[in-house]
Amino acid sequence: MPKLTIDGREIEVEQGTSILQVAERLGIFIPHFCYHKDLSWAGNCRMCQVEVEKAPKLVISCATVAAEGMVVHTKSEKVKKAIRGVMEFLLLNHPIDCPICDQAGECFLQDYYMSFALHDSRIEINDKLKKRKKIDLGNNIVLDTERCVLCSRCIRFCEEVTGTRELQFVKRGSKTEITTFFDKPIDNPYSGNLFEICPVGALTSRNFRFKCRVWFLKKIESVCPVCSTGCNIFICSTNKSMGSYPAGGVDDQIVHRFLSRYNPSVNRSWLCDEGRFSYKSINASNRLGNALRKAGDDLQTLEYGESLTMLHGNLKSIKEKYGPESIVAVASPQRTNEDIFLFRKYFKEVIKTPNILLGETSGRESALQMEDSLLRRKDKNPNTRGAIEIGVREIADSEKLLDIINQGKIKALYLMNSGIIAGRNGNERIKEALKKVEFAVTHATHMEEGLKYFNLILPVSTFAEREGTFTNYSGTVQKLNKALNPSADSKGDWEIIAELMKRMDYPLKTLKSEDVFCMLSEEVFSFKGMTYGNIGDSGMVLKSQEF
Amino acid sequence: MEKRISEEKAHVTAILKGLILTITSLLRNIFLGDKPTIQYPEEKRQYSERLRGVHILNKREDGSPKCVACYMCATVCPAECITIEAGESSDKSIEKYPVRFEIDMLRCVFCGLCVDACPEEAIIMSKEYECSFYSISDSVYKKEFLMNRPSLEKGELGYRPEINPNLRGKGGKFLPFSFFSKNKS
Repeated sequence: MPKLTIDGREIEVEQGTSILQVAERLGIFIPHFCYHKDLSWAGNCRMCQVEVEKAPKLVISCATVAAEGMVVHTKSEKVKKAIRGVMEFLLLNHPIDCPICDQAGECFLQDYYMSFALHDSRIEINDKLKKRKKIDLGNNIVLDTERCVLCSRCIRFCEEVTGTRELQFVKRGSKTEITTFFDKPIDNPYSGNLFEICPVGALTSRNFRFKCRVWFLKKIESVCPVCSTGCNIFICSTNKSMGSYPAGGVDDQIVHRFLSRYNPSVNRSWLCDEGRFSYKSINASNRLGNALRKAGDDLQTLEYGESLTMLHGNLKSIKEKYGPESIVAVASPQRTNEDIFLFRKYFKEVIKTPNILLGETSGRESALQMEDSLLRRKDKNPNTRGAIEIGVREIADSEKLLDIINQGKIKALYLMNSGIIAGRNGNERIKEALKKVEFAVTHATHMEEGLKYFNLILPVSTFAEREGTFTNYSGTVQKLNKALNPSADSKGDWEIIAELMKRMDYPLKTLKSEDVFCMLSEEVFSFKGMTYGNIGDSGMVLKSQEF
Repeated sequence: MEKRISEEKAHVTAILKGLILTITSLLRNIFLGDKPTIQYPEEKRQYSERLRGVHILNKREDGSPKCVACYMCATVCPAECITIEAGESSDKSIEKYPVRFEIDMLRCVFCGLCVDACPEEAIIMSKEYECSFYSISDSVYKKEFLMNRPSLEKGELGYRPEINPNLRGKGGKFLPFSFFSKNKS
């Protein structure tokens, strides 16, 4: 355990920690380009130089292992001068096209220039070396070799994380640039990470290109809803009502991108493309805002209050007429723990039906949905584990559900997510099956073709529009935060259920998502002791039920 | 008591001074015809060289907007009156251009910060200060309208940031780095 001093502060660290990591732990910032906490040490940008007493020259802190008795200075004149020199070299041929660069605002070059360099260039703008710009690297990435600082983060990512090795340096000296083999598109399932780890504007996102300047974006911590890994993300959105976009902005609220959020126990710094680009569904034009009722072949808009009255009335009369066994409730692993918990409570304790199923939406048919050892998992539902822990254990896919309906004993069907039936192929079969049900109701986030066979459709908010928690496959409970305002009448699923419970005279005081979670942690053993406060940003692992 | 009287005396003198000024001005206006009133709109007042009037969007030689949709003006605007929507330009050397560029003239406070912020000298100000509209939708000046105001371009230009004309960027090029570094170390 070496003991060293950095800027006058003493610290003891594990063997093998680099000086930069030690400084990070102390809260001392050392500028760097090539160092990334989840990649190997390259030490080629020379930005992180520090002065170590008794060492003949400055050393690069990212690749120098802390040793016993080291005395490190990160802010001495010698270091400042060296950093300024490095910056001058890096910016020598930089095109300074910050106005049209999407990285501007979160660019390491910009930040370091302002805080460490502030020099005048010794080269005229027209004498700068020209390189290739705006090169298409597949559907997700645009490469600009002029802006590159040759830190090799992207190259190491392709080598060490995905193992695909698409990118490499070519040419020599100041003409060096990164490229794929003859600009072959990068199509690995983690390509989105490349533009996220790029410290400058060399690799930028094609989807985010020119959509919004980064300083207008609001970053909210959340969890990716695309598979059961539950990667930590930031939802970056513009929201006029939250004051993060100048008035007269294009629309009220738009999600522009997802960024990965560092969580060493879940996703480290990475995010798969499927998850990264799933934000588009939140902005989709077919988002449902109002409750809908079947009127003949069409759907008719309904007031929120009216829809609840209708729902309550129908469920109650069916329960009295045919008994609680005639009601089937299908919870969805796409929804949060709070939703599933209250849903189960309502149907178990109030309606008293034995038929509470977990509607598994079998994976979407696409080439991207394979499982791999890095992040992606076959189970495309973010909260299957949570539902099982809460007690909704009987898993049903759409085939099984259709079978149950076709037996004809079911009079009321309550779906928490329309996805299990609607939006599937074979609409005719669904239509026939749902005809046998007296009252079919579903919660839905998006308008889909299959929805028109339901008697009542309640709008619910997407994961980005609400607070809640997801439990990932390994049992880490992670918190979602509200990034957007829900569209029109849409509510959280549990809010609808809570209303129904109140109408059934169930004593329920809860109004906030947090209170529902408190109820959950009191009643379900594996969630014991958890609150929104102590889950924190990195999540909390479920208690094991072994003992 | 004495102090109070002296104070009141001071008021009297001040009032008298004021009245003398008023009356002399009145007499001068009546008899010498030295009137500050002008017959607007037939007559117009000469304003400062740096008057901040209605905006103009500069064009390149080929008639496309000089603006690269960097959002600097929209970011700095205290009245939040500028709306920009960026798009991919077909010209590879330009890359980014404004698909939409609108200024809400009813919100604009004519502070000129957008002109200061512009790295391309794409937005400048004319000396026109009369902007009247018949409807609210007319008050939002669109890109085409802001770009094509020959009457204003021929007339004198108003407020512009004082930069060395030799440093000015030309079509698609950017200003030298030294221009951006105001705080020299």
